[in-house]
Amino acid sequence: MSDESPTRTDGAGETARPGPTTGQSLFRRVNVGRWLFRAGVGTVFVFLLAPVVVVAVTSFGDSITPSFPPAEFSTRWYESFLESSRWQRAARNSLIAAVGTTVLATVAGTTAALGVSNLSARAEGAVLGLAVLPLLVPGVVLGSSLLVFLGEFGLQQSYLAVIAAHSLWATPLAFSVVRASLSRFDPRLREAALDLGASPTRAFVEVVAPNIRSGLLAAALIAFVVSLQEFVMTLFVSGRDTRTIPVLAWNELRNTLDPVVSVVSTLLVLVVVLAVIIGTLVVGIERLAADT
Amino acid sequence: MGSVRTVVELDGVRVEYGELVAVRDLSLSVRDGELFCLLGPSGCGKTTTLRTIAGFESPDTGQVVLDGRTVTDLAPYARDCATVFQDWALFPNKTVIENVAFGQKMAGVGKTERREQARDHLETVEMGDYEDARPAELSGGQKQRIALARSLAVNPNVLLLDEPLSNLDKRLRETMQLEIKEIQERLDTPMVYVTHDQEEAFTLADRIGVMNDGRLVQVGDPETVYDDPVDQFVESFLGNSNFLSGRVVGSGTDRHDTARRAVTVEFPAVGAETQLSAANSLATGDEVTASVRPEIVELSPLSGGTAVSPDGGTPEADTTEQHNTDIEQGAGNRMALIGTVLDVVYRGSSIRYQVGVDTNESVELFVERSVARAPDLSAGDRVRLSWDITAVYYFGPDGARIRV
Repeated sequence: MSDESPTRTDGAGETARPGPTTGQSLFRRVNVGRWLFRAGVGTVFVFLLAPVVVVAVTSFGDSITPSFPPAEFSTRWYESFLESSRWQRAARNSLIAAVGTTVLATVAGTTAALGVSNLSARAEGAVLGLAVLPLLVPGVVLGSSLLVFLGEFGLQQSYLAVIAAHSLWATPLAFSVVRASLSRFDPRLREAALDLGASPTRAFVEVVAPNIRSGLLAAALIAFVVSLQEFVMTLFVSGRDTRTIPVLAWNELRNTLDPVVSVVSTLLVLVVVLAVIIGTLVVGIERLAADT
Repeated sequence: MGSVRTVVELDGVRVEYGELVAVRDLSLSVRDGELFCLLGPSGCGKTTTLRTIAGFESPDTGQVVLDGRTVTDLAPYARDCATVFQDWALFPNKTVIENVAFGQKMAGVGKTERREQARDHLETVEMGDYEDARPAELSGGQKQRIALARSLAVNPNVLLLDEPLSNLDKRLRETMQLEIKEIQERLDTPMVYVTHDQEEAFTLADRIGVMNDGRLVQVGDPETVYDDPVDQFVESFLGNSNFLSGRVVGSGTDRHDTARRAVTVEFPAVGAETQLSAANSLATGDEVTASVRPEIVELSPLSGGTAVSPDGGTPEADTTEQHNTDIEQGAGNRMALIGTVLDVVYRGSSIRYQVGVDTNESVELFVERSVARAPDLSAGDRVRLSWDITAVYYFGPDGARIRV
């Protein structure tokens, strides 16, 4: 071992380029690989983000039909969005649905995660399987069955119907996120709180929640975004007065290629980005990424 | 003693986890003002027992009584006891003083008042300067003190400690043991202290309960438990001893008292036979284990020299018979063996000699002496080992002590 020359120990460098010193060529090779990797990831990102950029740019166009790149720039479609009562109404509906879903899904997901943490391994597995089931059922199936089910109670086309549909998707996600967060929480802390006289509710408020708050926030954020972008089920269960932005956009696009849709899409993206930034500022990007 | 109030009473408590029985029909009572140590190896059920008292486990059968009140079905927050956890479980989102004041906050005590009380408790554990620190900024020993203060701050009827010092280094552990003992004596708060460390138990305990396999094997003050172990488990767990295995080869009447039955036990490893009287439970073929504690073994160089005896044992009636010529017959009640020192290990304040016995090379006995009284021996030296046979403990095939 000790009598081997350094050139023989790092043979990988030798094959790449017989340079003056193998150490340097090894360094170069690693560098090339790293840059190739970065270029690959960059390309993927460009393809993923390009539509968003295109939509954002077209929203500032001047023509009746969206074109890219726009011949002239203007904010006239933003003005017509602000003046349109239909779009205003859809935006308000989206916000109501998103806030309602956030509250319902986060509360339900958190209580479920807390409940599961006390179960035996086998029971926990069964509950986990059941919990993710709504994610695996196609939205069309869920949407049509929800319509029939809620119709029985005269709840079709209500806000409650939309929030229920969105929560069907958001709750399993919130549940998983809070569960992941709870798995890193030391159960002894909760026991210590109970031991010192805290009721289960106070123990949650005083000790559990503050220590899993990044998970709770991430769950709420996910629920909010899920609700904002959900389309298929909303199409079934919402009505004229409760339809959300994605449903109205789809409606509009069926007839004409309305540039206001680009405006709305851009605003939706902006809202999501803002939500993530706020989340990041509150708990830090690493914690957020680890919990979602 | 009079009638001392019982603060904790377990009556036939059994805790099962599915197939596994963690605690088997355990009954114990802890008296007011005492420090009771639950001592046992890991997995023996001592922590489960403590958690049953605290209310974190509910027993499948049996009763838990705290201060005369049956609390078996009460939640932890409805019981007047407080736990110091093994990893201390300080709330990381709260400062030191908020941690200590937590119990009183839950009890509805106002902020200024509970902070004042918390400060007093921080002074008790000499942590007054750290009230605004976060637990993450503290060392293990400091966290331990805060955990103790936090539990004391709820004025519990009984304080439960679950191996609170096991995460500390030896030196700090010994300091904290003395401090806990001192606080216990000052506040007179009864404590149930779980540990796997027999030295810790002997240092702290007023009484020790030795646990094994979910059972409370023996309860008593430290001296009694050490001097009078009820079975082989207690004997082996409380200290290091030399165990010799033997077998009952015959039975008859006691040579000294013909009215009594006695059995003859052969210890082939050391080539010796002993007669055990009053051992009615034994039959020919039964296995018997003898425990020869290192402190009873006298060790002396074979070529002259003075013997180093741990104590001047007084001769008593002989019950030994010796057939093997390798064995020197000492004074009437002594057994003696010849061997070779295999190893001398310096263990700081003491020296440990590993001695191979001539009759059977695989048999090694060890003897420990404090450095000041250690004979000058080195590996390879020929030595004479002898001990007072009445100081040997015998255990039957089921591990139960055979009292002779």
